Amino acid sequence: MPEEKLTSLKEAIGTVPDGAIVAIQNMATQSAPMAAVRELIRQGRTGLEVVALVGGIPIDLMAAAGSMDRFTGAAVSMEQFGLCQAYRSAVESGRIVVQELSETALNARLGAGARSLPFLPTRGLIGTDLIAINPDLLMISDPFGGSDVVACRALIPDVALIHCHRADRFGNLQMEPTAVWPDIGIMPKAANKVIATVEEIVDTEALRNSPERTFLPGFMVDAVVEVPFGAHPTSFNPRYGYDTAFHHDWIAVARDPEGAKLWMERYVYEPETQDEYLDRVGGANRLEELKRWEITE
Amino acid sequence: MNDELSIDWTVDELMITSLSATLDNDDQACNGMASFIPVIAFQLARLTHAPDLVWVASAIGLDARPERVPASTLEAPLWRDSIMYLEQYSTFWDIVLKGSWLQKFCVGAAQLDRYGNGNNSVIGDDYHRPKVRLPGTAGLGDMGSIGKRLFFWNPNHNPRSFVEKVDFVSCAGWLGGGDERERLGLTGGPELVITNLCVMDFHPETKHMRLKSVHPGVTAEEVQEATGFELLIEDSAVPETRIPTIEQVGLIRDVIDPDGMRLREFGR
Repeated sequence: MPEEKLTSLKEAIGTVPDGAIVAIQNMATQSAPMAAVRELIRQGRTGLEVVALVGGIPIDLMAAAGSMDRFTGAAVSMEQFGLCQAYRSAVESGRIVVQELSETALNARLGAGARSLPFLPTRGLIGTDLIAINPDLLMISDPFGGSDVVACRALIPDVALIHCHRADRFGNLQMEPTAVWPDIGIMPKAANKVIATVEEIVDTEALRNSPERTFLPGFMVDAVVEVPFGAHPTSFNPRYGYDTAFHHDWIAVARDPEGAKLWMERYVYEPETQDEYLDRVGGANRLEELKRWEITE
Repeated sequence: MNDELSIDWTVDELMITSLSATLDNDDQACNGMASFIPVIAFQLARLTHAPDLVWVASAIGLDARPERVPASTLEAPLWRDSIMYLEQYSTFWDIVLKGSWLQKFCVGAAQLDRYGNGNNSVIGDDYHRPKVRLPGTAGLGDMGSIGKRLFFWNPNHNPRSFVEKVDFVSCAGWLGGGDERERLGLTGGPELVITNLCVMDFHPETKHMRLKSVHPGVTAEEVQEATGFELLIEDSAVPETRIPTIEQVGLIRDVIDPDGMRLREFGR
């Protein structure tokens, strides 16, 4: 029998120490492991370095809660909902330090981490101001005589938090239709640990019906937790769209520490289970609306 | 094709048709976040002069066919109906970096200087304690350096976004002008800037941003006033930007973007 990976969110997130490098799957308003992020905040984690390709609301919540000291990634934005304001003010006041990378530079850092290399090169960023300010990037000459490239130092996150469509109890992870989201192609492979929340746990036999959807084998996954709507309020194609009202609700209080605190109490600290959380965001009726992708606002 | 010119075009449509005209039938194009004008320009090109144009929506969905432009240019409703999904790490960037494909890239930047250097990182003198933290370089930091032809768009032409010198270079343009880009070994570079007032290109030698055409009703003086550096204006009679046809306007309004998502980019 393979090792059992099924566990609770509390237990899985309990293994992440203060100060850890935490990679988070996210693309603006899409596919973030939100239940795992709320649990990190609830457990009072501090000093985290958060890695994301394009971070959205999970970054803003962690910035507001004081969970993170550093952000490493290509951008932070909630796209149609604008800039992440709590993150923004934390960076502007110096509380959060940003390591801003282009997409290929982040890919190179994570790719080197995944392949046990000291660095991988990119041709991106040459000519920009982003190389000189970053100790993890260095212009080097091509040993074979071509033009210079940017060496990107390996980045090995302590843990990757991802949200997937389904898994078996041994941690074999599937995405529907495939792993198209921009960051999961490399991030979980670079990390030392992978914690996955999934919409549903299924029998291993069910995975055999569509092996092309399996993108990470169970032996690379440390913990798997069943959390329906675990990406809410971000979207999770094809299952549900992003929650517009919920994003607006957060944005309305994100600049005001007192308002943000009350909001966090209601949606992050108080609900002890995913069911309680889903009740507070509008319950079954609201979730049905999200499944219909009514997202023209 | 019906070439009759529209009499009730609006500036959003003019920006879209100007951008669409830069695309050829054998091009591939992709878009990033909050990119309504490029996304509509790609679809317009495909429905008119460039039927074989391949659009990689959100850098994910190859040859996407959305029913209408949704509120996000990254989310699944834009790319769900495609003939291939490109995984970012292993497929999308391999195709982009190979060099033969996706040679044109549409770029939005919070600040742009006279040499087409872009800034989406920080406003202020101190990168580590910025006055304003912008979203970040994302794909721009790559596209400016890997030989792509850059087409900037900005629906809000003003001296805060067109500046003498960007506070921080997060997208390599012509750098200090002249042959500086070439000396670094970089190919490609900024070609065109399309705004709500005018179209600009770059002088072939000095790489100084130059007024190419003004939109009907706008004067060269007004463009200069809205620009934070001295624009190169070579001709006393600057030509007018070509206005959209009735067919183009109809496609934009009724077929591609009936909800008017493109207007969300204006007045920021």
